[in-house]
Amino acid sequence: MRSRGRLLLLQAAAPIVAVFAGGVIASAIILAIHENPLSVFGLMATFNMQAGSVASILTSATPLIFAGVATAIGFQVNVFNIGIEGQYYIGAFAASLAAFGLRGFPAPIHLVLIITAAMLGGLLWVWLPAFLRRRRGAHEVITTIMMNYIAFNVVLYLLGLVRDRNLGSTVRIRTPLFPPSAQMPHLAPLLNALGAPIPGYSPLNWFLVIALALAIVVWFWLRRSRFGYEARATALNPLAAEAAGIVVGRVQFVMFLVSGAVAGCVGLSDLLGRAGYFDIDFPKGLGFLGISVALLARNDPLGVIPAALLFGYLNRGAEGIQAFTNVPREVITILEALIIMAIVVAYEIMTRYVRVLRKQEVA
Amino acid sequence: MTGSLGTTSAPPIIELREITKRFPGVLANDRISVTVRAGEIHALVGENGAGKTTLMSILYGLYQPDGGQVLWRGRPVGIRSSSAALELGIGMVHQHFMLIPPFTVLENVILGAEPVRAGVVALAQARARVARLAELHGFDLELDARVGRLSVGEQQRVEILKALYRGAQLLILDEPTAVLVPQEIRELFRNLRRLRDQGRTLVFISHKLDEVMEIADRITVLRQGRVIDTVETSSATPSMLAEMMVGRPVLLQVPRPPALPGAGRLDVRGLSVEGERGRPRIHDVSFNVRAGEVYAIAGVQGNGQAELVEAIVGLRRAATGRVLLDGRDVIPLSVAERRAAGLAHIPEDRHRRGLVLAMSTRENLILGHHRRRAFSHGLLRDERAVDRFAAERCREYDVRVPRLGTPALALSGGNQQRLVIAREFAFTPGLLIAAQPTRGLDVGATEFVYRRLLEIKAQGLAVLLVSVDLDEVLALADRIAVLYNGRIAREFRRGEADAATLGLYMTGGGPPTGQAAP
Repeated sequence: MRSRGRLLLLQAAAPIVAVFAGGVIASAIILAIHENPLSVFGLMATFNMQAGSVASILTSATPLIFAGVATAIGFQVNVFNIGIEGQYYIGAFAASLAAFGLRGFPAPIHLVLIITAAMLGGLLWVWLPAFLRRRRGAHEVITTIMMNYIAFNVVLYLLGLVRDRNLGSTVRIRTPLFPPSAQMPHLAPLLNALGAPIPGYSPLNWFLVIALALAIVVWFWLRRSRFGYEARATALNPLAAEAAGIVVGRVQFVMFLVSGAVAGCVGLSDLLGRAGYFDIDFPKGLGFLGISVALLARNDPLGVIPAALLFGYLNRGAEGIQAFTNVPREVITILEALIIMAIVVAYEIMTRYVRVLRKQEVA
Repeated sequence: MTGSLGTTSAPPIIELREITKRFPGVLANDRISVTVRAGEIHALVGENGAGKTTLMSILYGLYQPDGGQVLWRGRPVGIRSSSAALELGIGMVHQHFMLIPPFTVLENVILGAEPVRAGVVALAQARARVARLAELHGFDLELDARVGRLSVGEQQRVEILKALYRGAQLLILDEPTAVLVPQEIRELFRNLRRLRDQGRTLVFISHKLDEVMEIADRITVLRQGRVIDTVETSSATPSMLAEMMVGRPVLLQVPRPPALPGAGRLDVRGLSVEGERGRPRIHDVSFNVRAGEVYAIAGVQGNGQAELVEAIVGLRRAATGRVLLDGRDVIPLSVAERRAAGLAHIPEDRHRRGLVLAMSTRENLILGHHRRRAFSHGLLRDERAVDRFAAERCREYDVRVPRLGTPALALSGGNQQRLVIAREFAFTPGLLIAAQPTRGLDVGATEFVYRRLLEIKAQGLAVLLVSVDLDEVLALADRIAVLYNGRIAREFRRGEADAATLGLYMTGGGPPTGQAAP
């Protein structure tokens, strides 16, 4: 039984060892450009402790939690939905149609309608790859990547149709501004009242809370519901699941759709909490970051939360380092990549070791 | 019994002295000392988890011992890797063959040790060497045949040839008979004796005591990581060996209650099934299984058993024919619906089909039962009900786990099979399909499975047993059908056929009788 404690310790240690290993390699790079890694990391740590940085970290983690959970849901059952990117783009555009198109609703109802529109948008975009996979066995990696390209261009085309034409002489291409009922309230006032010195300008908003709740709900659903059980059995051994009467293809189809629906929400925090309109500069790439986040979290919905926070942390740290030292921001990007690779390797080694230990525990 | 020349006086080729191997929490090998004499066939027997595999892995350089010494021809050696073992002259034939199916026999044998001349494989030279080796040892092999097309027995010969080609003087065979039919086993034994007579030494790992009695010169019995004894085969008996292995007397013949067949439970009529790429695998097969009887399908692996079982349980579509369960055609039903109709299934491969290894014991115990109302609490699972069920099943079927949350992959083979049986026997099914239910199990676990199968038969269940193990078929079955090439070659009543007759039909022999009407 003593080995059990060690087992848990080892499993917990894997990501920490990985982060540390990534840090060591990044240090070597920083040394190579004649900077002191300790002072660079020290600066990053103090910079990231500031209230403004904390707010920024939480804000950038919010969409990453959605994207990470969406990815993890698919990857859990071996559905490699690489199309989160396109799904959230369509979702965000659908949401903005509902945001400026629907008027006269009280904010709570309007927001629910907008979120529903976003999920339907994601669902619409994921349905075709899911259907093709279920019916024809088309590989989702190919189809979802193609759907990403289609999404960007379809959105651009549609944006041209609905763009705000009352912008006078500016060349800005964006949707009409959203009414106040379509703005997600910010968290700063509440957190300030609770004593947290979050700066008032921070766009940190309730989507963070929704994201956290979503991760927890998905985790619980996979763990404790009948469907979640079937999904996990499918993920871990589809052949045995099939023999037990679980229709593997159907489980994967459902998870694929859920993944897309969640993906539809990825852009909402930026859309409703910050911008208040959809324009051609709407952030891209969050879906691909979500893949990294899910990878780091080993497809565990709860693990997505710290993974997304780590990305937010590094991102903010990069801004600080760029502002106050001569270390280019790319070094931090390299660090991010190294950490992911180190985690994959460290986790693989740990898993193998743990498997051997487990075998001995009962042998 | 085997009367080989001078094994008693021969010097030891390898000596294991006080070998100890510790894994966290477990002493896998506890001061094991074994001496293998040059030119003998030395059998290593013991239950699963007795430490045989660990010991052989140490010998083959896959593990390093924590204590003790290995002496090769009287000289202490450290075997750091399998290539070091090969260099010394130690070869191993694994239970699962390490062959490349699309390659020819010759290519497989020389792979990794090809003679090269000017950067090109010197095939002619290799061919001459391999052909000489094969002839010397009386191996009947077509060197240009693709390995994927060979029978299991022939593939095994390729594996042995591979080890010999690399100069193995000591050959470790890990359960070599597990995959063979009686005729192939006889051939294997002939080959092994010939190898021994030409001076090679063989270590033979097995569960099957009658085989060990037949082939080995000396036998070492392991139990719980220790050597119980090394005995001359001539002074041993199977029951004595079994008792040494298990630590208590074992009934090798399980008392078999008489068949009291009742109503027909399963009725298979004119069933034809296609395998991979639409190749017909089962042709127009008909039989029935009645309540209170064990109906066995015997046959060499790969004669359509897998497809037949899959078609009955719903994992594979039937091309034509009907499968009636209690009079109702289940062909249009899904796997889940068939299970709900009272069909239980112990799959042939418990790792692939029977268990989700990474899941906990308790979650594995409800696999397939998970949609039952007993385990539901609204949309969620009733964890307490699951715990109660799992604890009760583990107790009743002697599934030994430290906790119900222990993942199935941490269980021994015997425990895993008990888990599958505990699950499939739950909720009183009407028909149980047991495919190779004792594959890879040791004597104790096999005895357990036999008892349970006969118990539920006595309770009025219909049991369809699919097995390649003739002893098993003969021990359990009330009626036996021999499946050959996708057809039922012949159906026997209990007592109508002995192993030799069944073996004949299994390999396509026997008088050309049609399918016996049930």
